[in-house]
Amino acid sequence: MIIEKGQRVDISQLNDIIIRMEQDICDTLAHRTLSVETVVSALDQLSQKIAFGAYDQKISELSSAHAEEYKEQVVRMMRRENIEYKIKMELGDDLRHAVMTNPPLGQSAIQVRPMPLGVILHIAAGNMDGLPAFSLVEGLLSGNVNILKLPQADNGLSLEIIAGLVEIEPQLSNYIYVFDTPSSDVATIKKLSEMADGIVIWGGEAAVGAVRRMAPPGAKIIEWGHKLSFAYISGYEDEDRELRLLADHIIKTDQVLCSSCQTIFLDTEEMDEVYRFCEKFLPILEGSSQMHASKSLGIRADKTLRRHFENMNRLLTRNKNCSGDCYQGIGCSLSAQTDSAPELSNMFGHVRVKRLPSQHIVSGLRPYKTVLQTAGLICLPEKRDALTDLLLRSGVVRVTRAGTMSALFSGEAHDGDYPMRRYVRITNVE
Amino acid sequence: MADRSILFLKGHPFETSETDDLFLSAMKENCLYQYNHCEAYKNILDGLNLHPDSIKDINHIADIPFLPTLIFKHNRIFSMSRKRMLIRATSSGTRGKRSEIGFELSGLLCGLVMVMKIASWRRILSICPCNYVIFGYKPHRGNRTAVTKTAFGSTFFAPAVRRKYAILFKNGEYETDLENIIEQIVGLSRSVFPMRLMGFPAYTYFALRMMDDKGIRIKLKKGSKIMLGGGWKQHYSEKVDKQTFYQLAERVLGIQDKDIIEFFGAVEHPILYCDCKHHHFHIPRYGRVVIRDVDTLKPLPMGQVGLLNLLTPMVYATPMLSVMTDDLAVLRDGETCACGLKSPYVEIVGRVGLHDIKTCAAGAAELIKEDAL
Repeated sequence: MIIEKGQRVDISQLNDIIIRMEQDICDTLAHRTLSVETVVSALDQLSQKIAFGAYDQKISELSSAHAEEYKEQVVRMMRRENIEYKIKMELGDDLRHAVMTNPPLGQSAIQVRPMPLGVILHIAAGNMDGLPAFSLVEGLLSGNVNILKLPQADNGLSLEIIAGLVEIEPQLSNYIYVFDTPSSDVATIKKLSEMADGIVIWGGEAAVGAVRRMAPPGAKIIEWGHKLSFAYISGYEDEDRELRLLADHIIKTDQVLCSSCQTIFLDTEEMDEVYRFCEKFLPILEGSSQMHASKSLGIRADKTLRRHFENMNRLLTRNKNCSGDCYQGIGCSLSAQTDSAPELSNMFGHVRVKRLPSQHIVSGLRPYKTVLQTAGLICLPEKRDALTDLLLRSGVVRVTRAGTMSALFSGEAHDGDYPMRRYVRITNVE
Repeated sequence: MADRSILFLKGHPFETSETDDLFLSAMKENCLYQYNHCEAYKNILDGLNLHPDSIKDINHIADIPFLPTLIFKHNRIFSMSRKRMLIRATSSGTRGKRSEIGFELSGLLCGLVMVMKIASWRRILSICPCNYVIFGYKPHRGNRTAVTKTAFGSTFFAPAVRRKYAILFKNGEYETDLENIIEQIVGLSRSVFPMRLMGFPAYTYFALRMMDDKGIRIKLKKGSKIMLGGGWKQHYSEKVDKQTFYQLAERVLGIQDKDIIEFFGAVEHPILYCDCKHHHFHIPRYGRVVIRDVDTLKPLPMGQVGLLNLLTPMVYATPMLSVMTDDLAVLRDGETCACGLKSPYVEIVGRVGLHDIKTCAAGAAELIKEDAL
C-alpha cells in the first residue's frame, strides 16, 4: 500500500509513482510553504479523534499489554499545547524565524534564515508501535516533504493514522508519501533516498549499516540507533520504595526498550555486596513479576524457557562469569557477574547485577559511549548531583529516577538531540 | 543398553503403563552412559547435584534435566566419537539456528523397529504401489534435515510409482511451487494407483485451499491417504482446526477423515507419534511425556496446559533423553478416547511465542531472532 497525494494506491503502481514523484516534489518545494500552524491544528484534531476511539480497533491489536496507556500517551502528545511546547523547546526562536546578524567590529551583516531540509526519507523500524507516524510528524513540523518507508512489522496503525491526518488537513497531502515496500527492495529504497536531502533511519546496527551503504554520498544521515540503559545504586533515600519501583519498571517494560534497565550497577568493589543485593532484590522482582504477569501462556512460557535455557547453558559450559551466581525466581532471575560492562540482559525479567565503584564510572562506561542512553539513579540525596555529573560525562544522555527510566517527559531530547533541529538547515542571505 | 532393546524390540507399541519399570531402567542406563561419556551432560548433572542412581521410580524421570531444544542449536553435544555415529541430522531451522543430532547404529535400529511397528498398527504398510506427492523438500545432497530424511523414508511404506515434491531445489535454493504440485495432483489422480500426500500440514492445507478456490474436485483411488507431519512451522497463525482440514480434504480430494494420518516428532526427540483413528496422539511405550508449568517448570497433572517435555532412552550418541520443546500441550486420560488404547494422549495446543516483540534495546532484536525458540 502506498499513500500518494492523500490517496491510497496499490503497490503495483510503485514505478509510475516514483517517476512522477520527483516532479511533484519539485512543484511543492517551488510553490508551497507548510505553516507550522496548519500541522499543529491538524495534529490537535487528530488527537481528539484518537481520544474518541476512531482507532481503538487497531490500537487493541497491538502486541503491547498496555494498549490503553499507550493511547492516552499518544492523545496527550499530539495535543496543541504539547506540540507547541515541543516546537518551542526544540527549535527555540533562532531556528524558527529569520534574523539579521549584528556582528562585532563593524563587519557586514547577513540574514540567517532557517529552512526545512527539503525532503526527508524516514526508514522506520518496527521497534515501537506507531513510531513511523511520530517520525513523520516531526518531519512535517519542521516543514519538510516526507517519504516514509513503513516497517514490515507495522500492523497498519501508522498507515491509518497518517491517512486520518491527511483527511483532516488536505494541504498535508503534498508533503506525505508512504510506502510499505519491503526492506529487501533495495532498488526502490535507493531511488527514494536519491530524492531525499536527509535520511532518518531508525533501527539496530544492521539496519543503519545497510542504509549507510546504500545512501548517496553526501546525503545527511540521521541515525536513531538502538541503545542500552542501566540502573546505578549508591545508597537509598527510601530503599523499599525505590527497589520496588525499579522492579516494576523492569517487569513492565519487559526490558525491550532502549530505556529499559538491563544491568544494575552497585557502587562497590565487593562481590559479596553484589550477592547480598541479589538475595534482597530477587523477592522484590518476583513480587512484581507475579503482579504484572502476562495473561498469555505462550508469552510466559517463552520467557520461562529462555531463562531455563540460560541456566542449562551456563551449567553445560560452566560459564565462569556467572558460576553459581544465578538467582532464579518465579518469572524472573538475577545474575551476579564479576565484570563491569553495561550489557544487554536476557530481557523479560532477567537482570544482570555488577560492581561499578563511582570512581570508575567514566572509565568503565566510556567504551560503550555510543550505545548508552538512560541511567536510573538511586542514591543518597547528597550524592545525586555528583553522580549525575559523572554519568553524563561518561556518555549517558538521560539520568532519571529508577522507576521512571522509560517515562516520557514533555520537552525532553531524544538520545542526546532535539530531532527537529536535525531536520532543518540554516541558510544565509546577503 | 539391554533394557532399551527390550523396550524397543518387543511388545505392542502402546503398552505404556505396563512398561514403566522397563522404561525407568532404560532411562537410568542411558543417563549413566551420558554421565560417563559426555562431559557437558555431566556438568549439568553435577551442577544440579543429581546422580543417575538417584532416579528410583518412574515419577523421578521428571527430575532428569530437561534440555531445551535451543541447547542443541547453540552447542554441538555428542557422547560418542563421530565414527560411531551413523547419521547426523539437523532440525529444519525454521527460525535461525539448527540443531545437530547424532544417531548410533543401535539407536537407529530401535527407531526402525518402532517405525515399522507403528506403521503396521496404523495400517500404513502396503504392498500396493502408489504415487507420492510430498509437501516437503525434495532430497538434495546438501540437505541433512531430519524432516527431509523422514519424508523420503516414509515413501517406502508402500512401493513408490512416482514421487513429486512441492519444495524443489532450484538455482541453489529451495523454492515452494504449489501451482506446479496442484497440476501434478490433478494429473496423478488419473493414474490407476492410489495417491499418498504427505509432508508439512501448512503447505498441504494451502494447496488444498487453492484447489478448493479453483473449484477442483477429484475422487482419489481407494487406499489413498494424507499423511501430515513436520508441524506448522512459521505458518502457525494459519493453523486450522482439524475438522476444517478434514472437510476440505474430503471436498477436494474425496479422502475421508479415517485416511488422514498425522504424525509428530522432532529431530531432538525421534519418537514417532502417530495419531489413532480418532486423531489422538497416544504415548507409545518408547517415550514418556511431562507437561510443565509455564512459570515454575514443575510437572503438572493431567488436563492442565503447559510446556511439552518429551523423554526417551532411544539415542545414546547425543544426550537427548529428556528434551523441552517449544510447544504448549495438555495430557489427557487415554480412557476418554474411543479407540481402545489406554495410554494417555497429548494434545498440542500452541507454541510459545514472542515472535512479534518490538524492541529498541541495543542488540536485542538480534538476540531474539538468533534464539528464536
